[in-house]
Amino acid sequence: MNHTLILSYVTFIYFASFVFYLFRMILKKEFWGYAASLLAWLGLFAHTLAMMLRWRASYDLGFGHVPITNLYESLVFFAWSIIMLYLAIEWRIKSRILGTFVVPVAFFVMAYASIAPGVDHSIEPLIPALQSNWLTTHVLTCFMGYAAFTVAFGCGLLYLWTEKKETRETNPASHPKENSSVLNTLDVLIYQSTSLGFIFLAMGIITGSVWAHYAWGSYWSWDPKEIWSLITWLIYAIMLHARFVRGWRGRRMAMMTIVGFVSVLFTYLGVNFLTSLHNYI
Amino acid sequence: MVVIFIVATLVPPQRMDSEWLWLNDLYHSKMFYVLMGLFSLNLMVCSIQRIPFAIKQYKTPSFPPPSGLYENLAPNRIIVTDKKMETVSRAVESLLKSKLFSVKETKLEKGKMLYRESGRLSLFGVYVVHLGVLMIIAGMVIGSVFGLEADLRLSEGEETNIIQLRNGEGEHPLDFSVRCDKFVVEFYDTGVPKTYRSELSFIKNGQVVRQGSVLVNHPLSFDGLRFYQASYGVSEKSRARLTYSNAGAESPEISAGQGDTFDLPVQKAKATVLRVEENMMQFGPAVKLNIETDKRNIQFWMFQHIQDIADVNPGLFSAVPLFNPGLFKPLVFSLRGIEGKYYTGLQVVRDPGVPFVLAGGLILIAGMMVIFFIAYRRIWFLLEQDPAGVRIRVAGRSHRYNEALQRRLDDLCAWMEKELAA
Repeated sequence: MNHTLILSYVTFIYFASFVFYLFRMILKKEFWGYAASLLAWLGLFAHTLAMMLRWRASYDLGFGHVPITNLYESLVFFAWSIIMLYLAIEWRIKSRILGTFVVPVAFFVMAYASIAPGVDHSIEPLIPALQSNWLTTHVLTCFMGYAAFTVAFGCGLLYLWTEKKETRETNPASHPKENSSVLNTLDVLIYQSTSLGFIFLAMGIITGSVWAHYAWGSYWSWDPKEIWSLITWLIYAIMLHARFVRGWRGRRMAMMTIVGFVSVLFTYLGVNFLTSLHNYI
Repeated sequence: MVVIFIVATLVPPQRMDSEWLWLNDLYHSKMFYVLMGLFSLNLMVCSIQRIPFAIKQYKTPSFPPPSGLYENLAPNRIIVTDKKMETVSRAVESLLKSKLFSVKETKLEKGKMLYRESGRLSLFGVYVVHLGVLMIIAGMVIGSVFGLEADLRLSEGEETNIIQLRNGEGEHPLDFSVRCDKFVVEFYDTGVPKTYRSELSFIKNGQVVRQGSVLVNHPLSFDGLRFYQASYGVSEKSRARLTYSNAGAESPEISAGQGDTFDLPVQKAKATVLRVEENMMQFGPAVKLNIETDKRNIQFWMFQHIQDIADVNPGLFSAVPLFNPGLFKPLVFSLRGIEGKYYTGLQVVRDPGVPFVLAGGLILIAGMMVIFFIAYRRIWFLLEQDPAGVRIRVAGRSHRYNEALQRRLDDLCAWMEKELAA
């Protein structure tokens, strides 16, 4: 089967999974949670398969390269990283609470990849600048970072939502303790996923500058993409410092994940509207 | 105060970063260096201020435990058993050793305390990261002060020892010279470039010391300078490769650019290349020759793809003398090809800051790993004789991931309670 076709199915699978996570949250029936997780795993499997097929297809075309070399492929890989990381977390914390807020991001990314104008779906051979072993490491670390920040963003949204719900239900007979333990878990998750993303982004920037040292003659060129990745990194650095030094927790950290995520999006997509050395992604 | 410091110095560079979209050369401006300097200073001051605190934390032994450790202890952390102190102690110890290693022990008045700790060194992770950042900044400053960035444009066959410094800082002589032996550009079938390659020779005292290829992503180092493939182009002068046949015998290939003259073996004739065209009248590569003898001047065009053109336009070449390559009898000329002579654009860089930046980057990553993956954790088990038997109280502290540690201790207590009951 054609990988493009599989990927369009995957987009719908993620959408269905999101809808089921939503049902689970609203109807409070774990059955929908099982269905949602199952779909997400199925989607991840098909997604992986499609990327491998695309990889092989590039070899059949005679040049052969990892499928992470243009905007379309990077979007597909971004969605893959988000789902993979999300499922890992779901499995670890044994709770499906986050699904409603993270899985839709993966769906939007996939949908954007397939319908946005100017996103080229074809497999192209690598131009000389991209013919490097650093390509895989650099892209992999950057997108793992982005994915971790996306998960943190999902946690942040859920945190704010839960908190709001809690203040709305002023009735003391409702379970404030249960909610506050959820908030605690979310706070820890925000911190953990942010720090994971922070490390990956740092590795992405460093592998990128090692590559730039070989390709562009300078490890740092003050290219808009480089600057914005640094800005993103600094935003998360401020966030983590605020936690360690100032003891920020909860709502402020949740707000910061949103600020950081906007910066991530700008680094990833917004910069493409500026002249950049990175214009192949 | 520390945070205000950090935020105050972090924010201005960011604002400047965004302004880069309009301000072109901010990153070489003095303002930027001042900001970087302030940022580094702030980082150093903050680190130095906080290091004594970390050292104090590091030196504090796990015994005696911090005061207030057992205040507000959750009921599930207190296990009371009616067994004898001796038995309980031995049981707890062996249980702990099976789950956690190296448990230390101190005897107390009413019983004993068992405790362990791990990851103490991770207290210093953050300073390692700061050191990494400072090294990167230092490397950047070293690079911009002692480094060199220049361009070098060489046509095929050209040799030079002068490079053009960037930012209009003039020329820079080298104590060796570089020659471009060949430049190759290859394309995929789709027309997308596949390879740019310059073959260079480095010449010292008239001798070729080293030869090698420079490709994108594969620079070449020589004498402390790195040579990068940056751009390429076609020089204005293209050269034609042509031959002529004289009574069935083919001449060796002649390479001639526009304005070049060569001798012909008949009638003391001289041929001059008047024009070299990549694509003449949509007929492809063509060259216009002027042949001069004592008596007359003959001019005609010769096409490279003459056979194809003749197939499409029968009789063209006999009907139009200007297009007849056999006009100067008895010679018949043929054009073998046109070579645009390429030049290669090389970037020449010397950056003594690179090792610092690289080391800084590695240190940064290592420090981050320590911070986020190793936590300083301490746990204490207090065993005391009690009227009801032996009371065990369990508490733990971690400066990071405290929640996770508490959850683990809860599990441990539940498990211990079950084991002791058995």
